[in-house]
Amino acid sequence: MVVWRLIELEGHDAYFNMAADEAIGKEILERRARPTIRFYTWKPCAVSIGHFQSMRDEIDVEKCKELGIDYIRRKTGGGAVYHDEKGELTYSVIAPQELFPKGILESYKAICGWVVDALRALGMDANFAPINDIVVEGKKISGNAQSRSGGILLQHGTILYDLNLEKMFSVLKISKEKIADKMIKDARMRVTCVREHAAIDRGALYRALLDGFTNGKECEAGALSVGELRIIEELERTEYKTDSWNFMR
Amino acid sequence: MVGTAKQKVPGGKLLTVKLKYDDRIRELQILGDFFVFPEDALPEIERILVGTSIKADADEISTKIRDAAKSKGIELVGITPDSIAQTVKAAVESKTEEGV
Repeated sequence: MVVWRLIELEGHDAYFNMAADEAIGKEILERRARPTIRFYTWKPCAVSIGHFQSMRDEIDVEKCKELGIDYIRRKTGGGAVYHDEKGELTYSVIAPQELFPKGILESYKAICGWVVDALRALGMDANFAPINDIVVEGKKISGNAQSRSGGILLQHGTILYDLNLEKMFSVLKISKEKIADKMIKDARMRVTCVREHAAIDRGALYRALLDGFTNGKECEAGALSVGELRIIEELERTEYKTDSWNFMR
Repeated sequence: MVGTAKQKVPGGKLLTVKLKYDDRIRELQILGDFFVFPEDALPEIERILVGTSIKADADEISTKIRDAAKSKGIELVGITPDSIAQTVKAAVESKTEEGV
Protein backbone atom coordinates (compact mmCIF):
# COMPACT_ATOMS: atom_id res chain seq x y z
CA MET A 1 0.00 0.00 0.00
CA VAL A 2 1.21 3.52 -0.80
CA VAL A 3 2.29 5.46 2.26
CA TRP A 4 1.58 9.16 1.90
CA ARG A 5 3.40 11.98 3.62
CA LEU A 6 1.03 14.50 5.19
CA ILE A 7 2.37 18.01 5.72
CA GLU A 8 -0.14 19.76 7.94
CA LEU A 9 -1.34 23.33 7.59
CA GLU A 10 1.42 25.95 7.34
CA GLY A 11 1.35 29.60 6.28
CA HIS A 12 3.99 30.79 3.80
CA ASP A 13 4.39 33.48 1.18
CA ALA A 14 3.42 32.83 -2.44
CA TYR A 15 6.98 32.18 -3.61
CA PHE A 16 7.66 29.55 -0.95
CA ASN A 17 4.30 27.87 -1.53
CA MET A 18 4.73 27.47 -5.27
CA ALA A 19 8.40 26.51 -4.96
CA ALA A 20 7.52 23.92 -2.31
CA ASP A 21 4.95 22.21 -4.56
CA GLU A 22 7.55 22.00 -7.33
CA ALA A 23 10.41 20.93 -5.03
CA ILE A 24 8.36 18.07 -3.60
CA GLY A 25 7.68 16.83 -7.14
CA LYS A 26 11.41 16.87 -7.94
CA GLU A 27 12.21 14.86 -4.82
CA ILE A 28 9.45 12.33 -5.51
CA LEU A 29 10.85 11.92 -9.02
CA GLU A 30 14.26 11.15 -7.49
CA ARG A 31 12.56 8.72 -5.07
CA ARG A 32 13.73 10.78 -2.12
CA ALA A 33 10.21 11.74 -1.00
CA ARG A 34 6.90 9.96 -0.58
CA PRO A 35 3.71 10.97 -2.39
CA THR A 36 2.63 14.05 -0.48
CA ILE A 37 -0.53 15.79 0.65
CA ARG A 38 0.12 19.31 1.85
CA PHE A 39 -2.14 22.03 3.29
CA TYR A 40 -1.20 25.69 3.37
CA THR A 41 -2.32 29.29 3.54
CA TRP A 42 -0.87 32.34 1.80
CA LYS A 43 0.84 34.74 4.17
CA PRO A 44 0.69 37.57 3.14
CA CYS A 45 -2.39 37.47 0.90
CA ALA A 46 -1.50 36.82 -2.73
CA VAL A 47 -2.82 36.53 -6.24
CA SER A 48 -1.70 33.70 -8.45
CA ILE A 49 -2.23 33.52 -12.18
CA GLY A 50 -2.37 30.45 -14.38
CA HIS A 51 0.71 29.37 -16.33
CA PHE A 52 -0.70 30.73 -19.61
CA GLN A 53 -2.14 34.03 -18.45
CA SER A 54 -0.68 37.51 -18.78
CA MET A 55 0.20 39.09 -15.43
CA ARG A 56 -0.50 42.61 -16.67
CA ASP A 57 -3.80 41.59 -18.29
CA GLU A 58 -5.09 39.80 -15.21
CA ILE A 59 -3.67 41.62 -12.20
CA ASP A 60 -3.48 45.22 -11.05
CA VAL A 61 0.18 44.92 -10.07
CA GLU A 62 0.42 48.46 -8.70
CA LYS A 63 -2.59 47.83 -6.45
CA CYS A 64 -0.97 44.61 -5.19
CA LYS A 65 2.20 46.53 -4.29
CA GLU A 66 0.13 49.20 -2.53
CA LEU A 67 -1.79 46.59 -0.48
CA GLY A 68 1.24 44.34 0.21
CA ILE A 69 -0.26 41.47 -1.78
CA ASP A 70 2.17 39.03 -3.43
CA TYR A 71 1.68 38.17 -7.11
CA ILE A 72 2.98 35.04 -8.77
CA ARG A 73 2.65 32.85 -11.86
CA ARG A 74 1.81 29.22 -11.12
CA LYS A 75 3.26 26.20 -12.92
CA THR A 76 -0.29 24.95 -13.33
CA GLY A 77 -2.79 26.31 -15.83
CA GLY A 78 -6.17 27.70 -14.88
CA GLY A 79 -7.23 31.18 -13.91
CA ALA A 80 -6.22 34.05 -11.65
CA VAL A 81 -7.02 33.48 -7.97
CA TYR A 82 -7.01 35.84 -5.02
CA HIS A 83 -5.70 33.96 -1.96
CA ASP A 84 -6.90 35.64 1.20
CA GLU A 85 -4.78 34.74 4.20
CA LYS A 86 -7.82 34.15 6.38
CA GLY A 87 -10.45 33.41 3.74
CA GLU A 88 -9.35 30.12 2.24
CA LEU A 89 -7.37 26.92 2.61
CA THR A 90 -5.14 25.51 -0.11
CA TYR A 91 -4.10 21.90 -0.62
CA SER A 92 -1.61 20.27 -2.90
CA VAL A 93 -1.32 16.64 -3.90
CA ILE A 94 1.99 15.61 -5.45
CA ALA A 95 2.49 12.00 -6.48
CA PRO A 96 3.57 9.69 -9.27
CA GLN A 97 1.01 9.92 -12.08
CA GLU A 98 0.32 6.19 -11.99
CA LEU A 99 -1.46 6.56 -8.64
CA PHE A 100 -4.27 8.37 -10.48
CA PRO A 101 -6.41 7.77 -13.56
CA LYS A 102 -4.59 8.48 -16.83
CA GLY A 103 -7.31 10.81 -18.13
CA ILE A 104 -6.99 14.43 -17.04
CA LEU A 105 -10.67 14.87 -16.17
CA GLU A 106 -10.83 11.53 -14.36
CA SER A 107 -7.83 12.45 -12.22
CA TYR A 108 -9.34 15.87 -11.46
CA LYS A 109 -12.49 14.09 -10.41
CA ALA A 110 -10.57 11.67 -8.18
CA ILE A 111 -8.73 14.36 -6.19
CA CYS A 112 -11.61 16.85 -6.21
CA GLY A 113 -13.65 13.95 -4.79
CA TRP A 114 -11.66 14.24 -1.56
CA VAL A 115 -12.71 17.90 -1.25
CA VAL A 116 -16.30 16.99 -2.13
CA ASP A 117 -16.27 14.31 0.61
CA ALA A 118 -15.06 16.89 3.15
CA LEU A 119 -17.70 19.46 2.22
CA ARG A 120 -20.46 16.84 2.24
CA ALA A 121 -19.32 15.72 5.70
CA LEU A 122 -19.96 19.32 6.76
CA GLY A 123 -23.49 19.08 5.39
CA MET A 124 -22.98 20.84 2.06
CA ASP A 125 -24.40 19.60 -1.24
CA ALA A 126 -21.00 19.71 -2.97
CA ASN A 127 -20.32 18.37 -6.45
CA PHE A 128 -17.42 18.20 -8.90
CA ALA A 129 -18.08 20.51 -11.87
CA PRO A 130 -15.76 19.70 -14.76
CA ILE A 131 -13.26 20.82 -15.84
CA ASN A 132 -11.73 21.82 -12.52
CA ASP A 133 -14.28 23.32 -10.13
CA ILE A 134 -16.28 22.20 -7.13
CA VAL A 135 -19.70 23.77 -6.63
CA VAL A 136 -22.21 23.97 -3.83
CA GLU A 137 -25.77 24.62 -4.96
CA GLY A 138 -24.42 25.57 -8.36
CA LYS A 139 -21.94 28.17 -7.08
CA LYS A 140 -18.15 27.73 -7.20
CA ILE A 141 -16.56 27.07 -3.81
CA SER A 142 -13.26 25.54 -4.93
CA GLY A 143 -10.94 25.94 -7.93
CA ASN A 144 -8.31 23.35 -8.76
CA ALA A 145 -5.38 23.14 -11.15
CA GLN A 146 -3.25 20.24 -12.29
CA SER A 147 0.15 19.86 -13.88
CA ARG A 148 1.95 16.75 -15.07
CA SER A 149 5.66 16.70 -15.63
CA GLY A 150 8.15 13.85 -15.85
CA GLY A 151 5.55 11.36 -14.59
CA ILE A 152 4.72 13.45 -11.52
CA LEU A 153 1.21 14.78 -11.02
CA LEU A 154 0.70 18.00 -9.06
CA GLN A 155 -2.77 19.20 -8.25
CA HIS A 156 -3.41 22.15 -6.02
CA GLY A 157 -6.65 23.86 -5.20
CA THR A 158 -8.29 26.34 -2.91
CA ILE A 159 -11.41 26.00 -0.81
CA LEU A 160 -13.11 29.30 -0.04
CA TYR A 161 -13.92 29.69 3.63
CA ASP A 162 -14.95 33.34 3.55
CA LEU A 163 -15.38 35.91 0.78
CA ASN A 164 -13.75 39.30 0.54
CA LEU A 165 -15.02 40.25 -2.89
CA GLU A 166 -14.07 43.90 -2.68
CA LYS A 167 -10.43 43.09 -1.95
CA MET A 168 -10.49 40.32 -4.54
CA PHE A 169 -11.82 42.66 -7.20
CA SER A 170 -9.42 45.43 -6.28
CA VAL A 171 -6.48 43.33 -7.52
CA LEU A 172 -8.04 41.15 -10.23
CA LYS A 173 -8.45 43.08 -13.47
CA ILE A 174 -11.84 41.67 -14.31
CA SER A 175 -12.65 44.32 -11.82
CA LYS A 176 -12.11 47.41 -13.90
CA GLU A 177 -15.87 47.72 -13.96
CA LYS A 178 -16.08 45.52 -10.95
CA ILE A 179 -16.04 48.05 -8.23
CA ALA A 180 -19.56 48.79 -9.38
CA ASP A 181 -22.00 46.99 -7.11
CA LYS A 182 -23.45 45.19 -10.07
CA MET A 183 -20.24 43.26 -10.62
CA ILE A 184 -19.93 42.30 -6.99
CA LYS A 185 -23.54 41.12 -6.94
CA ASP A 186 -22.83 39.14 -10.09
CA ALA A 187 -19.87 37.42 -8.42
CA ARG A 188 -22.04 36.61 -5.43
CA MET A 189 -24.35 34.79 -7.84
CA ARG A 190 -21.47 32.63 -9.07
CA VAL A 191 -19.16 32.19 -6.08
CA THR A 192 -19.84 30.96 -2.58
CA CYS A 193 -17.86 30.02 0.53
CA VAL A 194 -18.09 27.58 3.41
CA ARG A 195 -19.32 30.23 5.84
CA GLU A 196 -22.42 30.77 3.73
CA HIS A 197 -23.39 27.14 4.26
CA ALA A 198 -22.02 26.04 7.63
CA ALA A 199 -21.58 27.86 10.94
CA ILE A 200 -18.10 26.51 11.55
CA ASP A 201 -14.67 28.00 12.09
CA ARG A 202 -11.84 27.45 9.64
CA GLY A 203 -10.31 24.84 11.94
CA ALA A 204 -13.39 22.66 11.50
CA LEU A 205 -13.13 23.01 7.74
CA TYR A 206 -9.48 21.99 7.92
CA ARG A 207 -10.28 18.91 10.04
CA ALA A 208 -12.95 17.86 7.55
CA LEU A 209 -10.46 18.29 4.69
CA LEU A 210 -7.88 16.24 6.56
CA ASP A 211 -10.43 13.43 6.87
CA GLY A 212 -11.51 13.76 3.24
CA PHE A 213 -7.92 13.59 1.96
CA THR A 214 -6.61 10.84 4.25
CA ASN A 215 -9.58 8.44 4.51
CA GLY A 216 -8.62 5.03 3.19
CA LYS A 217 -4.95 5.95 2.87
CA GLU A 218 -1.94 5.16 4.96
CA CYS A 219 -0.45 8.52 5.93
CA GLU A 220 2.54 9.58 7.98
CA ALA A 221 2.84 13.09 9.37
CA GLY A 222 5.93 14.70 7.90
CA ALA A 223 7.74 17.90 7.12
CA LEU A 224 9.73 19.29 4.23
CA SER A 225 13.20 17.73 4.11
CA VAL A 226 16.47 19.63 4.15
CA GLY A 227 16.90 18.74 0.48
CA GLU A 228 13.45 20.10 -0.37
CA LEU A 229 14.12 23.31 1.57
CA ARG A 230 17.32 23.77 -0.43
CA ILE A 231 15.45 23.32 -3.74
CA ILE A 232 12.72 25.70 -2.57
CA GLU A 233 15.28 28.40 -1.83
CA GLU A 234 16.82 27.94 -5.26
CA LEU A 235 13.46 27.93 -7.10
CA GLU A 236 12.35 31.07 -5.26
CA ARG A 237 15.54 32.87 -6.22
CA THR A 238 15.93 31.68 -9.79
CA GLU A 239 12.29 31.47 -10.82
CA TYR A 240 9.29 32.37 -8.69
CA LYS A 241 10.59 35.75 -7.49
CA THR A 242 11.83 36.80 -10.92
CA ASP A 243 10.05 39.12 -13.33
CA SER A 244 11.20 36.91 -16.20
CA TRP A 245 8.93 34.15 -14.83
CA ASN A 246 6.07 36.20 -13.42
CA PHE A 247 5.83 38.53 -16.42
CA MET A 248 6.72 35.86 -19.00
CA ARG A 249 3.35 36.52 -20.73
CA MET B 1 0.20 45.29 -37.81
CA VAL B 2 -1.07 43.88 -34.55
CA GLY B 3 -4.27 42.17 -33.51
CA THR B 4 -6.02 40.62 -30.53
CA ALA B 5 -9.07 38.39 -30.24
CA LYS B 6 -10.74 36.65 -27.31
CA GLN B 7 -13.34 33.99 -26.96
CA LYS B 8 -14.91 31.82 -24.29
CA VAL B 9 -14.60 28.35 -25.75
CA PRO B 10 -18.01 26.62 -25.52
CA GLY B 11 -17.80 24.17 -22.62
CA GLY B 12 -14.21 25.25 -22.08
CA LYS B 13 -12.04 28.14 -21.02
CA LEU B 14 -11.14 31.71 -21.95
CA LEU B 15 -8.79 32.02 -24.89
CA THR B 16 -6.94 35.12 -26.12
CA VAL B 17 -4.65 35.36 -29.14
CA LYS B 18 -2.34 38.35 -29.60
CA LEU B 19 -0.28 38.63 -32.73
CA LYS B 20 1.92 40.78 -34.93
CA TYR B 21 1.71 40.24 -38.70
CA ASP B 22 2.34 41.52 -42.20
CA ASP B 23 1.48 39.05 -44.95
CA ARG B 24 2.44 36.35 -42.46
CA ILE B 25 2.14 35.94 -38.70
CA ARG B 26 5.42 37.21 -37.25
CA GLU B 27 4.78 36.91 -33.49
CA LEU B 28 1.99 35.18 -31.62
CA GLN B 29 0.91 34.52 -28.04
CA ILE B 30 -1.88 32.20 -26.91
CA LEU B 31 -3.19 33.21 -23.48
CA GLY B 32 -5.93 32.16 -21.10
CA ASP B 33 -7.09 30.03 -18.18
CA PHE B 34 -6.93 26.74 -20.08
CA PHE B 35 -4.62 23.77 -19.46
CA VAL B 36 -1.89 22.31 -21.67
CA PHE B 37 -0.11 19.08 -20.78
CA PRO B 38 2.83 19.27 -20.62
CA GLU B 39 2.83 23.00 -19.88
CA ASP B 40 6.07 23.76 -21.73
CA ALA B 41 4.45 22.59 -24.99
CA LEU B 42 2.45 25.78 -25.56
CA PRO B 43 5.45 27.75 -26.94
CA GLU B 44 5.88 24.86 -29.39
CA ILE B 45 2.35 25.40 -30.72
CA GLU B 46 2.97 29.16 -30.88
CA ARG B 47 6.19 28.56 -32.84
CA ILE B 48 4.54 26.39 -35.49
CA LEU B 49 1.97 29.12 -36.15
CA VAL B 50 4.59 31.82 -36.70
CA GLY B 51 5.18 32.14 -40.43
CA THR B 52 1.61 31.12 -41.31
CA SER B 53 0.13 33.19 -44.15
CA ILE B 54 -2.62 35.50 -42.94
CA LYS B 55 -4.67 34.14 -45.84
CA ALA B 56 -4.59 30.61 -44.39
CA ASP B 57 -8.08 29.50 -43.44
CA ALA B 58 -9.10 28.25 -39.99
CA ASP B 59 -9.08 24.60 -41.14
CA GLU B 60 -5.48 24.88 -42.30
CA ILE B 61 -4.38 26.49 -39.01
CA SER B 62 -6.34 23.95 -36.99
CA THR B 63 -4.70 21.06 -38.87
CA LYS B 64 -1.23 22.47 -38.11
CA ILE B 65 -2.05 22.58 -34.40
CA ARG B 66 -3.69 19.14 -34.38
CA ASP B 67 -0.72 17.55 -36.17
CA ALA B 68 1.78 19.14 -33.77
CA ALA B 69 -0.26 18.09 -30.74
CA LYS B 70 -0.54 14.53 -32.02
CA SER B 71 3.12 14.13 -32.94
CA LYS B 72 4.38 15.61 -29.67
CA GLY B 73 1.76 14.07 -27.36
CA ILE B 74 0.36 17.45 -26.31
CA GLU B 75 -3.03 17.44 -24.58
CA LEU B 76 -5.23 20.56 -24.59
CA VAL B 77 -7.93 20.92 -21.93
CA GLY B 78 -10.49 23.73 -22.15
CA ILE B 79 -9.38 24.78 -25.65
CA THR B 80 -9.20 22.94 -28.98
CA PRO B 81 -7.16 23.25 -32.19
CA ASP B 82 -10.33 24.61 -33.86
CA SER B 83 -10.91 27.26 -31.18
CA ILE B 84 -7.29 28.42 -31.37
CA ALA B 85 -7.52 28.60 -35.18
CA GLN B 86 -10.76 30.61 -35.05
CA THR B 87 -9.24 33.02 -32.55
CA VAL B 88 -6.07 33.43 -34.66
CA LYS B 89 -8.25 34.34 -37.65
CA ALA B 90 -10.30 36.73 -35.54
CA ALA B 91 -7.10 38.39 -34.24
CA VAL B 92 -5.85 38.91 -37.80
CA GLU B 93 -9.20 40.43 -38.73
CA SER B 94 -9.47 42.56 -35.57
CA LYS B 95 -9.02 46.25 -35.79
CA THR B 96 -7.36 46.58 -32.40
CA GLU B 97 -4.16 48.45 -31.71
CA GLU B 98 -3.27 45.91 -29.07
CA GLY B 99 -1.06 42.95 -29.94
CA VAL B 100 1.99 41.03 -28.79
